[in-house]
Amino acid sequence: MSDLVEQLVHGLTLGSLYAMVATGLALMFGVVRLINFAHGEFYMLGGYAFWYAYAELGLPYPVAGLAAVAAMAVFGLAYERAVIRTILARTWHVQLIATLATSITLTNLAILAFGTQPKEVPTRLSAAILDLGGVRMAWQRVLVLVAAVAIFAALEWFVAHAKLGKAMRAMSQNREACAVVGVDVQQVALATFGISAGLAAAAATLVSPLFSIFPDVGALLTLKAFAAVIVGGFGYVRGAIAAAFLIGIAESLAAGYLSYAYKDAIAFVVMVAVLLVRPQGLFGRRIGI
Amino acid sequence: MRATRFLLGSALLVAVPWIVAAALPGQQRYVLHVLIFTTLYGALALSYDLVVGHVGSLSLAHPAFFGLGAYTLALLATEARWPFAAGIALAAVVALAVGVPMFRLTEHSFAMGTLGFAIVTQVVATNWVDFTHGPLCVTGIPKPQVGALRIATLPAFYWMGLATLGLVALLYRGLTTFRLGRAFHAVRDNETLAAAASIDPLKYRMLAFVIGGGVAGGVGALYVSYVGVLCPGELTVSLSVNLLVMVFLGGVGSLRGVLVGAAAFTALPEILRMAPTWRMVIYGLLLLVIVIRAPDGLEGLMRRGRWRGRRPSSSGA
Repeated sequence: MSDLVEQLVHGLTLGSLYAMVATGLALMFGVVRLINFAHGEFYMLGGYAFWYAYAELGLPYPVAGLAAVAAMAVFGLAYERAVIRTILARTWHVQLIATLATSITLTNLAILAFGTQPKEVPTRLSAAILDLGGVRMAWQRVLVLVAAVAIFAALEWFVAHAKLGKAMRAMSQNREACAVVGVDVQQVALATFGISAGLAAAAATLVSPLFSIFPDVGALLTLKAFAAVIVGGFGYVRGAIAAAFLIGIAESLAAGYLSYAYKDAIAFVVMVAVLLVRPQGLFGRRIGI
Repeated sequence: MRATRFLLGSALLVAVPWIVAAALPGQQRYVLHVLIFTTLYGALALSYDLVVGHVGSLSLAHPAFFGLGAYTLALLATEARWPFAAGIALAAVVALAVGVPMFRLTEHSFAMGTLGFAIVTQVVATNWVDFTHGPLCVTGIPKPQVGALRIATLPAFYWMGLATLGLVALLYRGLTTFRLGRAFHAVRDNETLAAAASIDPLKYRMLAFVIGGGVAGGVGALYVSYVGVLCPGELTVSLSVNLLVMVFLGGVGSLRGVLVGAAAFTALPEILRMAPTWRMVIYGLLLLVIVIRAPDGLEGLMRRGRWRGRRPSSSGA
């Protein structure tokens, strides 16, 4: 029994990770109708930024984490200006290949800069064990869950009430109408990329002490997050979050009870199974984020 | 005039092993090796362009079909008599089975779904150690034998690669011109309009996907019979990237463009002689620049440049 609970906790940790990455993908898709295939690489770079600040510079954990998030938010802004803005008006073929090319470039640059050897970043929280009547877990997992809930609550408030959040919602419904009434669509798109990249870096900061950081972590992560976006109903953020937790738990249970080697195939199996029954995704297709 | 040029060109290509032997006596093994890779990559890129360039479905599953053909040959070569045909058939059947759920997806989702299939295939090839030998690789794959003819020397492999490329090019031309080719392009350019003209988009997409997958399987089988070793690393996503670079560098949807792209792609790293990681960085940046700045690739440059005076190419790019 306690074994099952531990697997579920692992699944929730994985789900938090996938949800934070998937949220970024869904936001970008909602606001500019573009799938960023380099999104997993944002997570990877965020992980390396955190590793550098925490292990190399010796900054305390919260400072190192916030520094990584800030650095990646700036990177997201630069990516929007350098790559995304030139391809926004082009066909989806061009967008897909351009972001895929970015992903390949970033992965291999990371190999050149950091090597293929995974970086381990243990913290005091990842070493401390919480024992709840036989159910044992690292305190870091508790932090991941609490932080994930806080981040999603903040995001929910932001999209519902903040001026920029409202603009993002409006753009996901009708870009032309936004431009007509004076919303600065370029600035909103720019901000969306900053926020999405920051979310990916936040995920990296939270889970890196549990998992290691390596250069090609991104490709598979993009796939799983994208699977969550598809399963959740395209571009619908709450759906993507729910689907990400579903995939995380399914993957964790499959790794524990079926086969560890094949766990990476689970997200894909869930996606195909859902699409065969409901091509529009679990939570239907509705307009807006 | 065209026929004469075509015959001359073909004769020249067939005579390459002797020309290389005469011109570069010390390096003929190396040069032939690069040329064999060029022919196989050319055939593979053409089969990929059939799907990407002609029906406009951005599939990333091609490494999986290549790998299925390769593994079928590698595992059957010692026991079965028709491993090549088996490799092609298996890859085509799997393409059909994968295509049924995948073509429920559109655009990005289709690309992602096929990418997922490619990743699962590689995960299985790496982890099903009892069957595929996993990371230990399949070794000692015998050289191909057609009747009494045993293909073992480098020139023989070159002619085999050239014949394959010729056949695939013929198939590519046949499929993309005539009525069928026009149907492909109608589906690619405007799906709704095509459906209204009673051209079933799913049927033609599926046809291109299955034929492309089958050809990729055949090329995979030839590839391992030449290389002699097969590891799961051959099936990675980077193969898709390589194919995208070839197709987009040369010119999407054009026979000449794709062949030029494949040749440039295979020759470039040999000339530059750089580390594989740097190579991938450069391919990534190259792909990014091409797709943004020159989406019709080298074919577009050729058409705008030297061929200006002629009528537009009939390849329907």
